[in-house]
Amino acid sequence: MEARDTIGAFGSVDEARPATILEAPSPRYGEKLIKWVLAACALLSVLTTTAIVVSLLVPTFDFFTRDGVGLGEFLFGTGWAPTFQPASFGVLPILVGTLSTSLWGMLFAVPIGLAAAVWLSEYASPRQRKVVKPVLEVLAGIPTVAIGIFGLVFLSPLIEDVFPFMVNVPPFSAGVAGLAIGLMIVPIIASLSDDAMRSVPGGLREAAYGLGSTRMKVSTRVVFPAAISGIIASLVLAGSRAVGETMVVLLVAGASPNLTFDPGSSVLTMTAFIGQTATGDISTGSITYDTIFAVGSLLFVITLALNLFAIRMVRKYREVYE
Amino acid sequence: MGNSPTEQPGRTGRPNEDGQLHSEKPNDDRSPAQGISVIREPARNDDDAWTKDTVFEVKGVTVCYSGKPAVKNVTMDIFRNEVTALIGPSGCGKSTLLRCLNRMNDLISSASVDGEILYRGQDLYGTKVDPVQVRKLVGMVFQKPNPFPKSIYDNIAFGPRVIGMDNVEERVEKALRRAALWDEVKDRLDDNAYGMSGGQQQRLCIARTLAVEPEVILMDEPCSALDPISTGRIEDLMAELKEDFSIVIVTHNMQQAARVSDRTAFLIVELDATEDSRWGQLVEYDETGRIFTNPRDSRTEDYVTGKVG
Amino acid sequence: MAPRTRIPGTERARLATSGAHATTLRRLTAQPGADIWKGNIFLAALLFALTIALAGLAAIILQAAIEGAPAFSIKLLTNGPSTVNPEEAGFRPALIGTLYLILGVILLVVPLGVAAAVYLEEYADGNRWWNRVVELNVQNLAGVPSIIYGILGLAFIVRGPLDLGFILAAGSLTLALLVLPTVILASREAIRAVPSSIREGSLALGATQWQTIRRQVLPAAIPGVVTGVILAVSRAIGETAPLLLVGAATFVTFNPSFLGDDGYSALPVLIFNYASRPQEEFRVLAAAGVVVMLVVLLAMNSFAIWLRNRYEQQW
Repeated sequence: MEARDTIGAFGSVDEARPATILEAPSPRYGEKLIKWVLAACALLSVLTTTAIVVSLLVPTFDFFTRDGVGLGEFLFGTGWAPTFQPASFGVLPILVGTLSTSLWGMLFAVPIGLAAAVWLSEYASPRQRKVVKPVLEVLAGIPTVAIGIFGLVFLSPLIEDVFPFMVNVPPFSAGVAGLAIGLMIVPIIASLSDDAMRSVPGGLREAAYGLGSTRMKVSTRVVFPAAISGIIASLVLAGSRAVGETMVVLLVAGASPNLTFDPGSSVLTMTAFIGQTATGDISTGSITYDTIFAVGSLLFVITLALNLFAIRMVRKYREVYE
Repeated sequence: MGNSPTEQPGRTGRPNEDGQLHSEKPNDDRSPAQGISVIREPARNDDDAWTKDTVFEVKGVTVCYSGKPAVKNVTMDIFRNEVTALIGPSGCGKSTLLRCLNRMNDLISSASVDGEILYRGQDLYGTKVDPVQVRKLVGMVFQKPNPFPKSIYDNIAFGPRVIGMDNVEERVEKALRRAALWDEVKDRLDDNAYGMSGGQQQRLCIARTLAVEPEVILMDEPCSALDPISTGRIEDLMAELKEDFSIVIVTHNMQQAARVSDRTAFLIVELDATEDSRWGQLVEYDETGRIFTNPRDSRTEDYVTGKVG
Repeated sequence: MAPRTRIPGTERARLATSGAHATTLRRLTAQPGADIWKGNIFLAALLFALTIALAGLAAIILQAAIEGAPAFSIKLLTNGPSTVNPEEAGFRPALIGTLYLILGVILLVVPLGVAAAVYLEEYADGNRWWNRVVELNVQNLAGVPSIIYGILGLAFIVRGPLDLGFILAAGSLTLALLVLPTVILASREAIRAVPSSIREGSLALGATQWQTIRRQVLPAAIPGVVTGVILAVSRAIGETAPLLLVGAATFVTFNPSFLGDDGYSALPVLIFNYASRPQEEFRVLAAAGVVVMLVVLLAMNSFAIWLRNRYEQQW
C-alpha cells in the first residue's frame, strides 16, 4: 500500500532512547505448568464420571452375559427376588417403589416449596427474606439419616393414628417415606425457584403493576410464567434428589418389593436395595454383587437424564435474563 | 444517532438538512481506502510531526469481535510526550482501539486484530512479543476506578512487587507524590483503598500505574465516573505527567479533549447499507487546536460544535 | 390569543399529573372486592405452606432433642458402642472416624476443587468443546445420587483399580469425590464474583495471569470459597449411604486410623444402625446421636452462611 510509505517516514526511533524489549524476559515455564496442573484437576471430574460409568458397566455387562439374566426379564419382569431360589430379576417392583416414594414426596414438596418460593420472591420484605432464606438453606443441610429417623419414629406413628390407610405394615410405608423425602426437598425447590423468580427483571413486574394488576396476579400470571424454565429445573433437580435418596427409604419404606403405588404399602426402592444388599459381605463376581451394579446403572441413567434436563432448563433461563 | 455518516469526506458545505444527506446514501461509494486518505492528509502537512518521536504507529488496524468489526482500518501515529485524545460518539470503537495498544484485547478470546501496530518501531503483535512485557511498558487507567481490595500501600506496591523491582517502599512514595496524592494519604497508607473518595481512587490507580514506570499511559475515560473537581485534578495531573510519559486518553467529553490533549483523533460510527452492522472509523486526526477550530472534515465540525452526537 | 387565557406549561403538567394520579387511584381503589379476597386467601395459603415447611424441618430437630434427651451425657462422646448395654454406649470411635474422614475430605477437596474452579473460570475458553464437556460434567456430577458414589467407591477404590480395601482412607476418598463437584461449583461462583476490573487492573500493571489469580482473584474470592467448602464438608459429615458400601462398620470399639484395615466407623452410620434396631433404648441413643450431629452441622452451616452474607457484594 502506497499509504504505508508515507506513514513509515515518521517511524524513526530516537537513537537516544534505549531500545525497548517486548519479548518476555524468561520463557515463563512456571505459568504454563500451572495452567496444565489446574487443567488436570478439572479433568479429574471427567475421570470421576468415567470411573463411575466403567465401574457400573462392567459388572452390569456380567450381569446380562455371565449371569444370564435377560434384558427383557430385567426391565419388564414383575418379580424381584434376586437372593431367593429360584431367583427372579424383574426390576419393575423396585423401580415402581422408587417412583412411588418420589411421587408422594413431590406431591407434598412441590406445592409447599413453590408457595414458599413465591412468598420469598414476591411478598417477603427484604428483612423477612434475609431471615427466612438462610434458615431454609441451613435446614437443607439436615442429613437425610436424621430425616429418616424422624420419619420412622415420629411421622409414621403419627400418620398411622390419623390416617390408618397410609401405614399398612407399621412402621413402614411408601407414603410416609415420601412425606419425609418431601421435607428433605422442600428447601431445594423453594431456594432454587426463588432464585429463578428473582432473576425475572423488575421492569416486567412494574409494567404489570402499572396496568393495575394485583400482587397475586403479578406473581401467578407474570413472574411465575416468566421464570418457568428455572422453576421446572428446580423441580426436576428435586425429583432427581428424591429418586436418589437412600437413607430415608431404607429406614421408612420397608423392604418388600411390592409392585404398587399404594402409599400405605411397604416398598423396596432401587437405592434401598443397593444400600441393604451391599452392606452385607458379598464377594466380587457373585450374581448378587452384579445385581447391585445393574440396579445402580438404571438409577444412574434415570438421574442423569433428569440432571441433564434440569441443566438445560437452567441454561435457558440464564440466557433469557442474564 | 443524529450524526450523518454518509457525508462525503471532501464536503465542506455545512449541511443544514439532514434528510437530504440521508437520501444520498445509496450513491455513497466511498471505499475504505479513500477514507484513509482523509486521515493521512493532515499528517503529511503537519511539519511538527516530522521532528517528533513516534511511540505508536497504527497502520490499517481493524479489530473484530467474533468476526464483526468494531473499528475498521485505522491509521495514525501517536507521539512521545504528548497527550493524544481519541474522541467520538459511543460505539465508535475508541476504547477498543485503545485496548489494542497494550494488548488488553488479548483477554477477550473472540477479539482479533488485523493490520499493524508498531511500538517504537517494533511490531506489537509480533510472534515473539509477550503481552505481559508490553503491559509493563504501556500502562492503563480504566473508566471506573478499580483499586484492589487491599491497603493503599499494597495497591501501589503490587506492581513493583510482581515485576520484581527493588526499593518498593521508595517507589510507592514516589508514585504517590507524582500522582499528587501523597499529602492526602501519607498518614493512612494501611487503610483499605475502598475507603477513599472516587477521585482519590482514580488518582491511586494512576499512581499504581506510575509505580511500574511505564513509557506510555493509556486512559480509558478516566474521569467519566468523577465529579468536576476530581476531574480537574486529574487533568492537571496529565499535563504534568506528559513531561515524562506519553499519554493516550479516550474521552467522550470534548471539552476535556480540548483542555488536555495535544492531538485529537475523531472517530465515528459507520453503518452499512442495511444497517445490520456498525463499526467505528477514524475520520480525522490532527493537532487538537485544529480539530476544534478548523477541522477539515465537516463531520468532525458537526461533532465538535455539538451539532450531532 | 392572549397569553392569560392559556394555561401555562407547568400548570398543564400539574393538571395532567393529577389527572393520571386520580385515574390510577380510582383503578386501584375500585379493585373489586373479590380480587382483594382472592389476594388475601392466596397470601394466607403461601404463609401456611411456608409455615409447614419451616415447622416440619424444625420438628426434625426438636423431635431428636426430646427423644434423645435421656441419653445426653458425656458418655455419649467418651464411650464406645455396645450391642448389649445401650445405657453405657456412646459414639467415640464413630466420632473420631468421622473426624478423620472429614479431615481427609478437606485435604483432598480444597486443593483439587479450587484448582479445577480456577481453571474453568480463568483459563478455560468456553468456546472449546472439551471445556464445555468438563463444565457439563461437573454440573451433572453434583446431581449424581450419593449411593452411586458408594458403588464407585466399592468397585473402584475399595476393590478394582485402587484396591485399598475397606479402610478409612477409602471412605474419605469416596466422600471427597462426592463433594468435589459442589466445591468446584461454589468456588467458581466465588471466583466469578470477583469483578473483571480487578483482573484488568492487575494485568495492566504487567502482572502475569497466574500472579493476577494468585495475588488478586483468589484472595478476593476466599470468603466465597470457604463458604462453599464448609457447606460441602457439612454435607459429607451427614452422608451415610456411600459409607455403607465402602465398609464403615458399626461396632468398632477402638479409635480408627487412616490406613488401619481392622475397620472404622462413622457417626451417621452408627446412628443409622442404632435407629434400625427395634429396642427403644437404641432409638434414644440414635436420637441423641442425631442431636450431636445436627449441632455440629447447623453450627457449620450457619457460620458458612453468615460468612457469605457478611462478605458478599463488597464491590
